[in-house]
Amino acid sequence: MLRKKGVWYILGRLLSLGFCIFFILLCGCATTMKINPQVTQMENINFQIKGEIICEGNKEYLPRVLVEESEPNSKLIFKYVYNAIYGKHDVPDLVALYNPFTIVGFPTGENTVTIIGKLDVLKGEEVVKSYIATCVLEKTRSLFSEGTFTEMRRKGLIAVRNNLEVQIYLDRGYLEKLLVPE
Amino acid sequence: MKKRSLVLLLLLIGLFLLSSCATGPAFKKIETIPENMGLVYIYRPGKAMGAAVSYQVKANGVPIIRLNPGGYYAYLAKPGEIEFSAKTESSSSITIDVKPGETYYLKGTIGIGFFVGRPHLVVVTPEVGENEIVKCKLLEEKK
Repeated sequence: MLRKKGVWYILGRLLSLGFCIFFILLCGCATTMKINPQVTQMENINFQIKGEIICEGNKEYLPRVLVEESEPNSKLIFKYVYNAIYGKHDVPDLVALYNPFTIVGFPTGENTVTIIGKLDVLKGEEVVKSYIATCVLEKTRSLFSEGTFTEMRRKGLIAVRNNLEVQIYLDRGYLEKLLVPE
Repeated sequence: MKKRSLVLLLLLIGLFLLSSCATGPAFKKIETIPENMGLVYIYRPGKAMGAAVSYQVKANGVPIIRLNPGGYYAYLAKPGEIEFSAKTESSSSITIDVKPGETYYLKGTIGIGFFVGRPHLVVVTPEVGENEIVKCKLLEEKK
C-alpha cells in the first residue's frame, strides 16, 4: 500500500516538473511585441496617396499607402526615417553556468529591439503633419533558442509600417484636402 | 608527482587561453572615413569566460574576420542594410543600416552553450563602444 502511494507521489512530482519545464520552454520561445500608438489593424487598406518620397532605408519598410509621383512638382513630400535600437541583457555567466535549470531551458538572457518610424508630410518646405510609431520587441534567450536580432528587427519594421499605414488611412480626409489646389 | 601534473595542466590551459587572444597593435581610431562608406568597428572585449572560443564574423554571408577575445577589426562598408552573423553551435545575427560617413560599434561576446560557447553580436552606443574598444588589439585579417 505504502509502495503504491510512493509511486503515485513520485509520478505526481515528475508530472509537475514536466509542466514546469514545458512552461519555461514556452516562455523562452516567445517574442513579445508592444506597439505605440495602438490602432486597430486593418487588412488590405484600399487607399493610396501620391507624392515625392524621400527614404534612405529599405523601401520594403515604407508604408505601402504612399505612392511615388512621377510628376516633377509634387504637391506633397513624404520623408520617412526609421531607426533600430538594440539591447541585450545577460544573466551573469557563472549563474547561468551553475544553474541546473539552464539545461532545461531557463533563460540565459534577453534581446530587445526598439524600432522607431517617423513619417513627415511636407507641403513645400513646411512640415504639415508627422506620424510616429514605436515598436518594442523582447525575446528571452535560452539554450534552445538562437540570439538573432535580424528577424526581430524585420518583424518590428513591418509592424511599424503597418501601424503607420492605418494612421495615414484614418487621416485620409485631411491628406486628400492637402492635394486640393488653393 | 600529482602536484607536478596539476601545475603542468594549469600551464597548458593558460597557454591555450593566451594563444586565442588578440596580439596585434593597440586600438587606433580611423580619423577619415572614405567617401560614400560607413565604418563598422567589430570588437570583442577580453574575458576569461569563453576565451578559448573564437568565431568568424560574416557580412551578408561573406567572411570578414575571425573574432578572438580582446580583438577588434575596422570594417568599411558600403551604405545599405548589412547583416552581420557569427556561428558556433548556434548562430547570432544583427542587421545594421549603414549610412555614409557614420561609425558603428558591433560588439561580440560569448555565452554558454551545450558543448561550446555561443556567439552574440550586438550594436552598442558610440559611448560604450569607444570606451571598450580602446582595450582591444587589431586582429589579423585571416579568414
